[in-house]
Amino acid sequence: MAAVIPSRITALTKLRCSIFGTSYNPTGLRTGAKYLRARLRGPSMVKYYPPVINIAQLARKYPELELVDEVEEQRWQDVEDRKKRGKGAPKKAKSKADSRRVARKR
Amino acid sequence: MPNIRVLRDVKARHGVQANEIARRAYLYVARNQSLPPQVRHQAQLQLNTFGRYTRPTTVKNRCSETGRGRGIMSEFSLCRFQFRLKALRGELNGVHKASW
Repeated sequence: MAAVIPSRITALTKLRCSIFGTSYNPTGLRTGAKYLRARLRGPSMVKYYPPVINIAQLARKYPELELVDEVEEQRWQDVEDRKKRGKGAPKKAKSKADSRRVARKR
Repeated sequence: MPNIRVLRDVKARHGVQANEIARRAYLYVARNQSLPPQVRHQAQLQLNTFGRYTRPTTVKNRCSETGRGRGIMSEFSLCRFQFRLKALRGELNGVHKASW
C-alpha cells in the first residue's frame, strides 16, 4: 500500500469539517466553546427549595389585612418575659469606661 | 421558617442565576487560547471581581425541612431522616417501603 501524503490528510480533515459543520482545530486548541455550549444552571438551581410564604413580608405589603405573625409574636412575648425576670440585654455602654467595666465583670 | 444556612443558600442560588450569563462570557474569553494573553488576563481579573455568591460551587443542596447539609436526597430535597418520616407518612408520591 502506498504511503499517504500528509498534506492530503489535512485536506481531507478540512473537507470533513466543512461537510459535517465542525470547526477545524487540528492542534486541539482550547476555544472555551464549552462554556457557551453548556446549558444555564441558574433556573433549575433557583427552583430547588419549595416556595415559603413569608408572613412578615405579606403583612408589610398588605397592612389592611392585619395579619398576625404568630412566631414573631411569641418571640416578642418571650423577650418581654425575660426582661421582667431581669434577663434582658444589658444597656449599651455610653463611654469607654462603661465598656471596660462590663468587660471586667465578666 | 428556613434557617440561616438555607437562606444563605437561597441567596447564592439567586446570585448564580443573575450573574450566570456574564460569568460565562468572561469564562469563554479567559479560557480561549486563540485570544491574546492580555485580553484573557483581563477577563480573568474581571471574573475575580464577582462576589462569592455568584459562583455555582457555593450552592449546596440542603434539606428543605431541617436545613441539614449532609445525607440529602436531591430528588426530594430532603435529608435521609425527613425523607423516611415523609415516606412513612405517605407524603412522597411513588415512594414505598421495601418489603420482600
